[in-house]
Amino acid sequence: MIEVQHVSMVYPNGVGALKDINLSIEQGEFVFIVGSSGAGKSTLIRLIGREFLPTSGRIRVFGKDITKLKRREVPLLRRNIGVVFQDFRLLENRTVFENVAFAMQVVGARPREIRRRVPEALEMVGLVEKAKMKPQELSGGEQQRVCLARAIINQPSLIIADEPTGNLDPKTSMGIMDLLKTINIRGTTVLMATHDREIVDLMKKRVIMLEKGKIVRDEQRGVYNRDAH
Amino acid sequence: MLIRNIIYYFKEALTSIVRNGWMSFASIAVVTVTLFIFGSFFLLSINVEYVTDDIKEQVEIVAYVQNDLTEAETEQLRLKIIQMDKVEEVRFVSKDEALKRLQEQLGELAAGYGEEGRNPLDDSFEIRTALPEDIPEVAAAIEKLPGIRRVDYGTDVVKKLFSFINVIKWIVLAFMIGLALTAMFLIANTIKLTVNARAKEIMIMKWVGATEWFIRWPFVIEGIILGSLGALLPALGLTYLYGEAVDWARINLYFLPLVNPDSILGPLIKLLLLIGTTIGGLGSLLSMRRFLKV
Repeated sequence: MIEVQHVSMVYPNGVGALKDINLSIEQGEFVFIVGSSGAGKSTLIRLIGREFLPTSGRIRVFGKDITKLKRREVPLLRRNIGVVFQDFRLLENRTVFENVAFAMQVVGARPREIRRRVPEALEMVGLVEKAKMKPQELSGGEQQRVCLARAIINQPSLIIADEPTGNLDPKTSMGIMDLLKTINIRGTTVLMATHDREIVDLMKKRVIMLEKGKIVRDEQRGVYNRDAH
Repeated sequence: MLIRNIIYYFKEALTSIVRNGWMSFASIAVVTVTLFIFGSFFLLSINVEYVTDDIKEQVEIVAYVQNDLTEAETEQLRLKIIQMDKVEEVRFVSKDEALKRLQEQLGELAAGYGEEGRNPLDDSFEIRTALPEDIPEVAAAIEKLPGIRRVDYGTDVVKKLFSFINVIKWIVLAFMIGLALTAMFLIANTIKLTVNARAKEIMIMKWVGATEWFIRWPFVIEGIILGSLGALLPALGLTYLYGEAVDWARINLYFLPLVNPDSILGPLIKLLLLIGTTIGGLGSLLSMRRFLKV
């Protein structure tokens, strides 16, 4: 599903750069990308979402080389990728329902379809009762659930999440992780960057560790830091 | 384009115009002022052209025929003139035709003439030479012909007037382009405020897979609405003012023919709307170029 081949990224200041990254992720996997800040986690995630292009190397997503996409093809790629942000990125002047519906509107979904699917997604993240509230009336965890509902509303085959629990307390974080796990069990590939040791150790999923822009470890059912165990 | 998308675009555009009320108002005002000035210049230059054309047409020799000549004698005279070396064209203007022209120029003021054979005008010839420089020479020759009462022709002053008017026209044109650009950048700035205010929204749209044009349309429509609202007032105002001006000129400047409002206002209004919408649309495209790069 995702093939990263000899990808390097050079920034003028060196922070977050990547050096010759190679990895392959299969459909339905749940993968953590871990490492200290500045190791290149975010860069890798954002490259896969085609936010920018790598300095060199190839990235194949859904079998397509996304480094060769034309500008107008990028939206079509994104429709198949759900994105979860650390800072939620919800629209303050819209209700929970409207925030989720927005993602369907912009891809031209039918109103009837929107009215049917948005409640389903809100149901899944447990926010049906708060559909009419504005984001600022919600707790951080609830806002992240809205963000999750928005990410899955167009039924993408891949979810990329950059530090989705970074702004949340441990208990709330676990709730979000449970949701991501559920989404993953339903067949969606999940790729999540994090430096939350506790979460990674609990989930026992594949862990790819980055250090100074290089992959230093890639193991199934991994933990955050092998040496600590 | 899907109809529900179009509805969405217009809703977004109108919401944003209302939300940025004061900036929207300012952009409309700038377009209004620009197009008002533009429209005034447009009317002025069309009329200057009209008047100069009129004068140009007069830069030919007009030879008035003595009013006791028979038709055959007049024809003889015409043949003599046309056989002259430097003459290119001779046109006979009967006194009835001359009266009709006068009445068209003067309107009601000339009413009364021509009834019951009261026509104080003479038959005449309008003579064109191949080269304007030959006019004095040819005019002198025609004046000597028997049967010709009087000869008129334009002078150097007229030629100087032409070149002066040409210079003025270029200055006005440059000024108009400057104004249009100013208005466009002002609209671009207004839309930029909207775009800035909605940078987050645009980013989310991009992340959930909205196409670039889906993101652009609301802003482009916003610009077009601002531009056409800005064109509306000048269109109405100039329609009214020009009508008044023509009425006034007909009475006070009867020697100066202005272009008929019916034939000029339609194209003017279309032009103003076209420029207004173009300014608005281009302005908004300009303002959001930067935001679409992700």
